[in-house]
Amino acid sequence: MGDLVRLKIDGQEIAVPATKEAYDPLFKKHVTIPTTIYDAAVALAQKSGQPNPIPILCHREHINPVAVCRVCSVEVKMGGVPGRVLAPACYRPVENKMEVETAQTNERVKTTVRCVTQLLLSDHPSGEMPSHEGDNELDVIARRYDIHGSPYPRAKEKRAHDNSSVVIAVDHNACILCDRCIRACNEIRDNQVLGRMGKGYKAQIAFDLNNPMGDSTCVACGECAVSCPTGALLHRKEVEADPWQNVSPRPGPVRADELSGHPLFEGVSVPFLRWNEGSVVRRQFKKGDVICREGEFGSTAFLIEKGKVKVFLQSPRAHVQSRDGWKGLFGLIQKFTSGLVSRSRNGQKDEKQPRYIHIDAPVALELNNPIAMMSEGDIFGEMTCMNHYPRSATVVADEDCTVLEMLRNVLYILQRNKKSRAWLDQRYRDRSINNHLRGVPLFADVLEDEEEFQRFVNYLRLRVELRRLTPGEVLFRQDDPADNFYMVRVGFIKVSQRRPGGEQILRYIGPGGYFGEIGILSRLPELAGKVPAGVRTATCAALDHVDLVVVKPGVFVALNEHFPKLRQHFLSIAEEHLRRDQENKADVDGVALGDFLQQGLMNAQSLLVLDLEKCTRCDECTKACADSHDGVTRLIREGLRFDKWLVASSCRSCLDPYCMVGCPVGSIRRKDSREIHIEDWCIGCGKCAQNCPYGNINMHGFDETISDPLNPGRKIAVVQQKATVCDLCESLDGQPSCVYACPHDAAHRMAGKELMEQVGAHN
Amino acid sequence: MIVQELVAIQDRCGYLPDEELRALARRISVPLHRIHEVASFYPLYRLNPGSSVTVRVCRDMACHLRGAARLKGVLQALANEIGPDQVCVEGVSCLGQCDSAPSAVSINDHVYWGVSEDELKKRMHAAAAKETLPHQHGNRDPLGWKIDPYDGKPRYEAVQKFMEKRDADGILKSIEVAGLRGMGGAGFPTFRKWSFVRGTPGDVKYVVCNADESEPGTFKDRELLRRTPHLVIEGMLLAGLVTGAKHGYLYIRHEYHDELEAFEDALEDARSRNVIGDNILGSGLTFKLDIFVSPGGYIQGEESALLEAMEDRRGEPRNKPPFPVTHGLYNKPTVINNVETLAWVPSIIIHGGEWYKNGGTNGATNGATNGATGMRFVSISGDVKKPGVYEVPLGQTVRDLIFNCAGGMHGGQKLKAIATSGPSGGFLPTFIPADKLPPKFAKEKLAQGAKGLDILDLPLDFNTVGAMGGMLGAAFVVYGDRAKMLEQALNCVEFYRNESCGKCVPCRVGSQKLVDIMDGMLQGQMKREALPIVSELGQTMTLASICGLGQVAANPMLTLMKYFPEEI
Ligand code: SF4
Ligand code: FES
Ligand code: FES
Repeated sequence: MGDLVRLKIDGQEIAVPATKEAYDPLFKKHVTIPTTIYDAAVALAQKSGQPNPIPILCHREHINPVAVCRVCSVEVKMGGVPGRVLAPACYRPVENKMEVETAQTNERVKTTVRCVTQLLLSDHPSGEMPSHEGDNELDVIARRYDIHGSPYPRAKEKRAHDNSSVVIAVDHNACILCDRCIRACNEIRDNQVLGRMGKGYKAQIAFDLNNPMGDSTCVACGECAVSCPTGALLHRKEVEADPWQNVSPRPGPVRADELSGHPLFEGVSVPFLRWNEGSVVRRQFKKGDVICREGEFGSTAFLIEKGKVKVFLQSPRAHVQSRDGWKGLFGLIQKFTSGLVSRSRNGQKDEKQPRYIHIDAPVALELNNPIAMMSEGDIFGEMTCMNHYPRSATVVADEDCTVLEMLRNVLYILQRNKKSRAWLDQRYRDRSINNHLRGVPLFADVLEDEEEFQRFVNYLRLRVELRRLTPGEVLFRQDDPADNFYMVRVGFIKVSQRRPGGEQILRYIGPGGYFGEIGILSRLPELAGKVPAGVRTATCAALDHVDLVVVKPGVFVALNEHFPKLRQHFLSIAEEHLRRDQENKADVDGVALGDFLQQGLMNAQSLLVLDLEKCTRCDECTKACADSHDGVTRLIREGLRFDKWLVASSCRSCLDPYCMVGCPVGSIRRKDSREIHIEDWCIGCGKCAQNCPYGNINMHGFDETISDPLNPGRKIAVVQQKATVCDLCESLDGQPSCVYACPHDAAHRMAGKELMEQVGAHN
Repeated sequence: MIVQELVAIQDRCGYLPDEELRALARRISVPLHRIHEVASFYPLYRLNPGSSVTVRVCRDMACHLRGAARLKGVLQALANEIGPDQVCVEGVSCLGQCDSAPSAVSINDHVYWGVSEDELKKRMHAAAAKETLPHQHGNRDPLGWKIDPYDGKPRYEAVQKFMEKRDADGILKSIEVAGLRGMGGAGFPTFRKWSFVRGTPGDVKYVVCNADESEPGTFKDRELLRRTPHLVIEGMLLAGLVTGAKHGYLYIRHEYHDELEAFEDALEDARSRNVIGDNILGSGLTFKLDIFVSPGGYIQGEESALLEAMEDRRGEPRNKPPFPVTHGLYNKPTVINNVETLAWVPSIIIHGGEWYKNGGTNGATNGATNGATGMRFVSISGDVKKPGVYEVPLGQTVRDLIFNCAGGMHGGQKLKAIATSGPSGGFLPTFIPADKLPPKFAKEKLAQGAKGLDILDLPLDFNTVGAMGGMLGAAFVVYGDRAKMLEQALNCVEFYRNESCGKCVPCRVGSQKLVDIMDGMLQGQMKREALPIVSELGQTMTLASICGLGQVAANPMLTLMKYFPEEI
């Protein structure tokens, strides 16, 4: 450690080694650097038992000094002659025969330290509350020098707050630019997110390109907040004061030290875990206890520590249909009552049903037998936790088991932390991928042979990439060259297209959904030259926290080689596309918004069309609709007008079908037309009804008897909630009741093509 | 490469779009924050598309004194007419054209000086119509200065002389004898700096010529760069040969585009004469010279901040020690000298150290290496008839300077104050009573019975001005009796506030608070009661700031309080 250097601090002699070891973050190695005056003062304080006379603010012993705050200023005399200016003790190397004077003995130093502290207080929120006994490091220094408030004028303009991160709140007013968070982020953690921006008095800390913290590449390790001396970066406690208050027995928090032993938490800073103690609890469940219930809202995710759980859908696979009661008895038309009908029973012609339902867990549920098992190490409920969507399934302890339940802030951190993410991703590859791919209708339908399916999963296991998007992040833009194929695990992707007159949202793709295949079909040799080399036809952006599985073009092509059935399927998709392109030669991109709506109509199977020349606005149709749907009308006598025809709507077919967002099981969908459909596996959580700004989606409760999934063979009675939109209810003459009810023959059901022909005929 | 890459992006896109910055980060694999901290620091870069025409009017010392605010108002009115979304008029820090004050204006980064209001308006219209703007050129003719032994011809005889004997010590000796000191403001003896670097072991060393002349009122290097670039080149080369550095950089402010061109031409010429490059004049010695165009900001003139910029970081001064002579560019021993300092070297080598030393007259101390001897260039601006650059002997009096060189006071005004080092030394009054002078100075320098010092008698040499508590720089700004000194002082402090890098608290926060307080006083909201905290603040800034900027930023106000109490 080099020779000893002797110096005096406030008249007291001390000898310290000339150099010390430090970590050089730039070259990532240990280096020898000079011992500083501050180090010497620490040594002296240890020796004498007196408090260290030198305050520090921008410096800490474990980081390399930058000497920007200057509260550690000292007078350095050599041979009795003071320097022209003061020296920062945290930076200035010790020299033999140095005489150092601190604020204790030197008035210039004292005035300086006080003045610097006052300057900082004049802009810091603490300075506004002179009596306030703050506990941040700036306040502590202020108290030490008996400073109350600041004589300097306060900043004229307030600086911004950034609350975009789930775990850390940023208050730029409290930031003194000490650089500690920056060094914490870049040097200690090597996360490389934080920097300074701007210059002079306007300088600030910034994430990436001055992005909101929540949208930046911040991995939420928490190191910056731990380092901040002034409360500018604060860990956010979860909003609920006590998230576990309704849980009984009251679960105990898992201690930070214990957590950090778990591989999932290993990479997270212990101070952060400590700060968030209480955000992870351990819960014990007895066999048969319900851990969470489908349709419930929640804000937690679960990690099974020990034991097995059963996950299943309780709701029957069925949708709501109106059925006629006893008609004509006593000449009265009875109120229509509704009942549940399953698609198969209903016999409605429809696209192929998926065989599996994707849920918010590492397992997929078979449509016809929606029950599965999860065990130790499985994480479930991520989507509910991150995006506040209802639970997608019911989970019940299958034996006595222990589960860690965690709040959003913790999961958020885990997903952003390098080590935890690696662990999560590994879990995905090891286990969830199988079920995830099963839940993607595309594969489940095509690869019916289990053996083949397993081969397929094994092929992809290590070849896919996993990617997370933050809310609002754009994955690619329309006209970008097409590269990957994507599958959604968690969250929703918003698909939109630029059109003259505006941006049209085409759809939302939720868990189990996939996209991007069209763009890379041209890579299949059969299609080379036939399908134009792909550019993206729409823009895809994350609506909320999204987890994606990415299949690179090379892997995509290889997949098609190894799995002929898949290839067949993709070829037919391509064929379908080519055919459609042929059919409507019009360049879709050039079609204006209004025309696009028309196109949507063209595809519609059954539009309710009102002939405005005949319609007297008597509202009988609306009333009939209400009558046949428990008093709630689903019909609005408003809509697009074509000539004398008004296309009424049971659903406004909003440009932005927001109702679809957040359906935990993906049962609300938009098909070829713009109409919304609700599939049989609706679990009745009510998310879509809540989403619909017009109240056009209704929840209906039905008394139902279902077979108990926990006790095969037994039946239980439940009140089943189901969502409904217009269901084309049938009335006496087989027409929907609204059409039947129209006394003026103004209401008609017709297909889009018919309507267009009508309109054309009139023109 | 970040600095130059950003310039390239901006040239291509007109500003720095986020996607481009992201692409750059990927391409050169650095984190986003590294790019952004640089892009958001330097005034050259724009992070937003902004308006298509940007007009910048110098707002500092000389221009402020001579009516910059009025000129800006006139141009702003025209901008409003053309369309405020299309044309933006803003203030800018000193453009180094103070002798044309207030006509120091840039339009879309073309710097114009001494151009009439009507002509400026025409050019604004032209810019708005997307026409190509003219490029203004200055005169490159030699003016018969003593500094140029070749009368404008790039003869490089000093290098040839060196090559004959390769006597580096001899050169150092001449410079020592000459007593040549740093002409950028600090006045550090040049031979000591060179000897340090020469004595520091290491294969890789650098020479950097600081041509980032940005202090309000200073524009002498501008003339030297344009009229005598060969001297600067030769000076750098000699510094390299003496210290063992094989690579030199000219760090030049981007607003000096005409000087940049002149230098480039001279460099081209030097290369063709084989005085720069490999195997110089067949000697087997190497010296490469490159130009680094500054992305802007006064603080870059601080030598360690300049190095930070060259190393692609935010141009924030380093904590010292260590100093650049041992830990300079890329942590290697580095000579950083001002343009003028280097330009004096050839003539000193050709004529000898004595020749330079004897250029001084009057009471300048002779002989001692720390004495004030020799010659220098000064920039004079403000309320004088002939503002400009003058080659003068050190020790010349203020009277000589104002009334002989600069032709006397402008517009029949009386002298009220002078600034002897741009804003950094604050102001001196016409008469300093003996009790406000340092006792030692009063005793030694004042004539018997004198009540004080008539400023016109003050000899301008480093020692005398230093001894009386002032600072001797290269910028003389002369204030006539119409100037309101509080307002002028505020203008100077605002300059420092604007140019503070923001690294250290005393300067970053202190300069803003000082502006707030002075502004409050000017508006009448703050009273003299605030003066004690101003003194405290000034002292703190002086004692605790990292670099010279913060250390001098309060001087305009402190000297105002000392010499012009009646003006507050
Ligand atoms: S004194 Fe000012 S310019 Fe110098 S380092 Fe400090 S903040 Fe930057
Ligand atoms: S603690 Fe030394 S400058 Fe901040
Ligand atoms: S150009 Fe205006 S003060 Fe220098």
